Amino acid sequence: MQANAVLPAGRTVAKEKPNHILRLCRLLVLVTGLMIFFPQVNPGRIMLKINENASLFTTAISYETLTNSVGRPLRMEWILPWHFHMLMLGAAIVLVGVLLCCVGGCMSLGNNRMKRTGLLFPLIGSVAVGGGLVLICHMQALVAGLEKADKLEPIFPTGIWVFAVAAGLIFLTALISLLTLPKEVEERMEMEEKYRLFLMFLPVLLLAFIFCYLPIYGWRFAFFDYKIGDALTAENFVGFKWFTYLFENAATRSDLVRVLRNTLIMSGLGIATSWLPIAFAVLLAEVRSTKFQRLVQTLTTIPNFISWVLVYAIAFAIFSTDGFINSFLRNVCNVAGANTDYLASADGIWVKMLLWGTWKGLGWSAIVYIAGIAGIDQQLYEAAKVDGANRYQCIWHITIPGLVPTYCVMLLMSIAGILSNGMDQYLVFENALNKDVIEVLDLYVYNIGIKQGLIPISTVVGVFKSVIGVTLLFGANGISKAIRGESII
Amino acid sequence: MSKKVQNHIARKPGDYLFDGLIYLLFGLFTILCVFPFYYLFINTISDNDKVVSGLVNFYPIGLHFNNYIALKDVADLGSSVIVTVARTVIGTALMVIVSAWAGYLVTKQKMWKRSLWYRALVITMYFNAGLIPWYMNMLMLGLTDNFLAYILPGMIAPYNIILVKTYIESIPGSLEESAVIDGASTLTVFRKIILPLSVPILATISIFGAVGNWNSFQDSLLLMSNSPKLYTLQHRLYVYLNQSSNLSALVSGSGGLSTQAAQNMLSSKVIKYTVSMVTIIPILLVYPFMQRYFVKGIMLGAVKG
Repeated sequence: MQANAVLPAGRTVAKEKPNHILRLCRLLVLVTGLMIFFPQVNPGRIMLKINENASLFTTAISYETLTNSVGRPLRMEWILPWHFHMLMLGAAIVLVGVLLCCVGGCMSLGNNRMKRTGLLFPLIGSVAVGGGLVLICHMQALVAGLEKADKLEPIFPTGIWVFAVAAGLIFLTALISLLTLPKEVEERMEMEEKYRLFLMFLPVLLLAFIFCYLPIYGWRFAFFDYKIGDALTAENFVGFKWFTYLFENAATRSDLVRVLRNTLIMSGLGIATSWLPIAFAVLLAEVRSTKFQRLVQTLTTIPNFISWVLVYAIAFAIFSTDGFINSFLRNVCNVAGANTDYLASADGIWVKMLLWGTWKGLGWSAIVYIAGIAGIDQQLYEAAKVDGANRYQCIWHITIPGLVPTYCVMLLMSIAGILSNGMDQYLVFENALNKDVIEVLDLYVYNIGIKQGLIPISTVVGVFKSVIGVTLLFGANGISKAIRGESII
Repeated sequence: MSKKVQNHIARKPGDYLFDGLIYLLFGLFTILCVFPFYYLFINTISDNDKVVSGLVNFYPIGLHFNNYIALKDVADLGSSVIVTVARTVIGTALMVIVSAWAGYLVTKQKMWKRSLWYRALVITMYFNAGLIPWYMNMLMLGLTDNFLAYILPGMIAPYNIILVKTYIESIPGSLEESAVIDGASTLTVFRKIILPLSVPILATISIFGAVGNWNSFQDSLLLMSNSPKLYTLQHRLYVYLNQSSNLSALVSGSGGLSTQAAQNMLSSKVIKYTVSMVTIIPILLVYPFMQRYFVKGIMLGAVKG
C-alpha cells in the first residue's frame, strides 16, 4: 500500500477487458447499501404497528425509534421487549452482512490479488444477510402466532424478499467473478491510485448523500395525503392535488400572498440598504486614528456572532415592559406610566426587523469592504492628489469604484436569496399580535409543517421555494457572467 | 503614511466638521452595539431588588455574583449546558477533521471522477430540499430525540471544505512530491505535511464551527420536541424568555435553606438576564481569538473554490 502503489504494477488491471459480472456485483452492492436507509424496504417492519419511518439501519441501531409507536402493546404485554431485541439482532446481522458486501465491493476495485480476497466478503456477507433474514422471518412467524396478534397487525414485509433476492444475486455474481479470476495473481494487494483516493473520499460522499441529497427524496410527501405516522400507499396518493390546492383554496392563497408580501418586503428592505456596509467601510477608512478604527471594527462585529435567540434576549432586556427603556423613563425621566412593551406591537415591524438585522450584521458585512479598501493601490490616491483631487473626489472616483465589483457579487447573491430570509429572526420576534406581518416564507413553512403538522402542503411550498431559489441563482449567475465575465458560484 | 501627511497639510475647516461627524457616528453606533451587553451584565451582578424595580441602568448597584451560583438550581439548565458544550466540542472536532480530510482529497487530480464529486459537494451549498423534507429525512434516519442529530449532519460542511481546499492548493506541491518520493503514503502526507501547514485555516473553521454549534437553535427546536433534556442552551433560553409565568418556580432543589434563599432572590427577570449572560459569555471569551482569523476567513471565502 506504500509508494509502489503508484508504480505501473496496477496497470494490468486497467488493460483488462471490462468484467461485466463484477460490475453488476458492485452495482448490486451499491443498491443494497443504499436500501438500508429506505424505510419502504425495511425487512424489519414485521407488523404495521412498527414505526413506518424506521429503515433497516434504524431498526438495527435504535430500540427507541423501533418501539416508539408500540408503547401500548408493550405496556399491555401483548408483545415483549425480547421480541424486539431479537428483531434488532436480526436486522443487525443483515446490516453487518450488507457492510461486508460493501467492503468487498470496494476491494474489488483493486488488482486481481485484492479482488480474490475482496470477493470473499460479499460471499460471507450475503450469507449473513440470509441468516439475518431467516431470524427476522422466524420472529415474524412468532409474532403472527401471538395471542393478541390482530392488535399488532403482523405483515410479511416485502423488504425480506427484496433483500433476499439482492443477497442471492450478490452471492451469485461474486462467486462467478471469483471463479473467473485469472489463476496467477500478483504477490501483493494493490489498487490504482485513482480508486484508492476515491475510496478514501467515499465516507465524505456518503455523509453528503445522507444529509444533503437524501432529503430530496422527502419531496415525495408532496404527492400524498399524509400525516406523521401514516404510511405512503397507493390509496393516499393524490398526485398534484396539493400543488393546485395551494393556489385554488382561498385560505391558503391569501396566506401565501401575505407571506410572500412579508418576505419580499423584508428582503427588499435588506437589498435597499445593502449599500450601508460600503458607507460604513468608506467612512471608517476616513478616520485618522487607527486605534479608534480598530476599536470600532472590533466592537461592532460582536453582535454578528450571537444567535437570534440572544438578540431577542437583548431586545427583551432593552424594550420589554420592565426593560431598559421603560426603567429609564420611569426612574430617570420620571415618566410615571412608562410600561409599554415595545416588542409586542406590530407597528412598523418591517423596519424594526431591518434595524435588528442591521444592528447584528452591519459591522460584519463591512469587513469585506474594509479589506477591499486596504487592497486598493495607494498610488491611485497619490496620483489623484497630485492632480488636485480633494477628499470627497478621492472617495467617489477611487474608493467606491474599487468596491463596486465586490458589491455586485453581494447584491446578486442577495437577489438570488430573496425568498430565504431564514426563520430564526422572525420566529423569536413572532407573537400573537405581529404574526400576520412578521411571518416570512421560511417561518410559514415551519408554522404549517411542524406546528400544524401539514406535511404535504408545507413540502409543496418548500419545493416551490427551492426551485425558484435555484432559478434565481442561475439567473443571477448568468447576469454576472454576461456583465462581468465572471461567475459568482 | 504619505497619504496622511498630505491630508494633514490640505485640511480645511470643513474637514474638521466632517471628521467630527464621523467620530460621532461611529461612537454612537459602537455604543449601540456594546451597551446592551453591558446593561445585561450589570443587571445580573447588582442587588436583585434594585434590578426588579429598574434602578440599575448605567452602573451596578450592590455588587454580588450569587445569581450565577444560584443558576445551578434552575431546572434543566444543567443538562442544556452539558449538551451544548458536548456538541460544540465533539461536533466542531469532527467537522474540522472531515473538512481537512475532504479538502485535502479534492485537491488530488488523480481521484476517480474528482470534479464530479467536488461539484456534488459544492451544489449542496446553493440547493437544499427544504425544511420539511430535511426534517422527514432526520425522522426516517431515527435522528429525532437523539444526541447524534447534533453531531452527524454537522460533520459535512461544504463551505469549510472549499476553504480548506483553496488553502491547501496554495501550499507548494513540491513539499508533497518530495515526501511521496521518500515513500510516504497519502495518510502520512496528510498527517505530517498537510495538517501542520494548514493550521491557520483549520483554526479559522474550528472557531466558526464552534460558534455555530454554540449558537445552534433550529435543530434543537425541530428535532428534540420530545426530549427537553437534549435542548441546546439557546433553545432553553428561548423557552425561558417565552415563559410568562413566574420563572422562579423553575428553581428546584432538594429543599433546605439554599433553595429558599434562591427563591427569594431570583425573580424571573433576573433568571432570564443571567441565563442570557451565561449564553453570551463563551462567545465573548473566544471573540478575541476569532478576530485574528475572521478577516482571513472571509477573504478566502471570496476566492471561489
